[in-house]
Amino acid sequence: MTKKLIPIREASGLLNVSIDTLRRWDESGKLIAVRTGKGGHRYYRQEDIDQYFSNIFSLAKSWAFSSTPTEPEDTYYCQISSVFQARLATMENTLRQFGTSGDISPLITAITGEIGNNSFDHNLGNWPDISGIFFGYDPTKRMVVLADRGRGILETLKKVRPELENHNMALEVAFTEIVSGRAPEARGNGLKFVKQVVTQNPISLIYQTGDAKLELGEDAPEIIIQQSEDSFHGCLALIRF
Amino acid sequence: MKIELKKFGTTLTSRQLGKEAFAAFLPTLNSIPKREEIEVDFEGVTTFTPSWGDEFLTPLINNYKNKVLLKNTSNSSVKATIELLENVGSMKFQIKS
Repeated sequence: MTKKLIPIREASGLLNVSIDTLRRWDESGKLIAVRTGKGGHRYYRQEDIDQYFSNIFSLAKSWAFSSTPTEPEDTYYCQISSVFQARLATMENTLRQFGTSGDISPLITAITGEIGNNSFDHNLGNWPDISGIFFGYDPTKRMVVLADRGRGILETLKKVRPELENHNMALEVAFTEIVSGRAPEARGNGLKFVKQVVTQNPISLIYQTGDAKLELGEDAPEIIIQQSEDSFHGCLALIRF
Repeated sequence: MKIELKKFGTTLTSRQLGKEAFAAFLPTLNSIPKREEIEVDFEGVTTFTPSWGDEFLTPLINNYKNKVLLKNTSNSSVKATIELLENVGSMKFQIKS
């Protein structure tokens, strides 16, 4: 039996991206189309579309790490903080509807809020290329993904900790030390809160900035930071629960 | 006086909105005697974070110190935020049971 192929116009609607974007994705290999018919029109396999949706983390990572700055697709793009606040409230409701345990649901929303708001607070007016964040979640897979193409933790923390030399040191300070200097404006201790919540609950976190990658969880309460082979200028977070 | 936080929203997460909430409430706060107790009620709040809390609760504590009482703090994100703010600010909130 021949599996149904989805025409490019329909795929464009399903994925909420333009036909031109789909053509570019086909050429770059991001989402490969099937060519059929005389004119070689592009069609898509349902399984490829499903796979595309299923891997929000890969999407976020390829967006954040791409050497060509582009806006993420609308489904995941929060260009300004107020869009993020609205979608965060929607996620909170969705988690409740999916029966996420009563105590965990507010905590997931809270740490997602802190990570996302951190991106906006630390980059407002200073986004290097694309402003705003990537924010996606999948309640069935119990995961939340956030990414930004901001300045990264090292550059923002250096303003109060000029002695910081690399991403690894910056990431450790952000997650463990109370930055008392907090000048020039009030800065929170959001990532310390994230650490506290993650290590006290059945939640795990992967957080990367620059070439430093941190892993944290109830089973691994001590900060583990590894040097990543790849590097970028923003932040990328994966929360699993 | 009683402050019902749900009147500012039920998902209280961003620093910016915490700051706006405090600024909006300041005229009311300034109109009450310094000796009066301030009860901060979390009833109805579904998500709370240190960013919002730091902009609202911290100045409240700085101005009214032990006159501030927190009520209905059983939500897990409220409890976690209180724990963090106490550690960061080396202070202890008064919780009304």
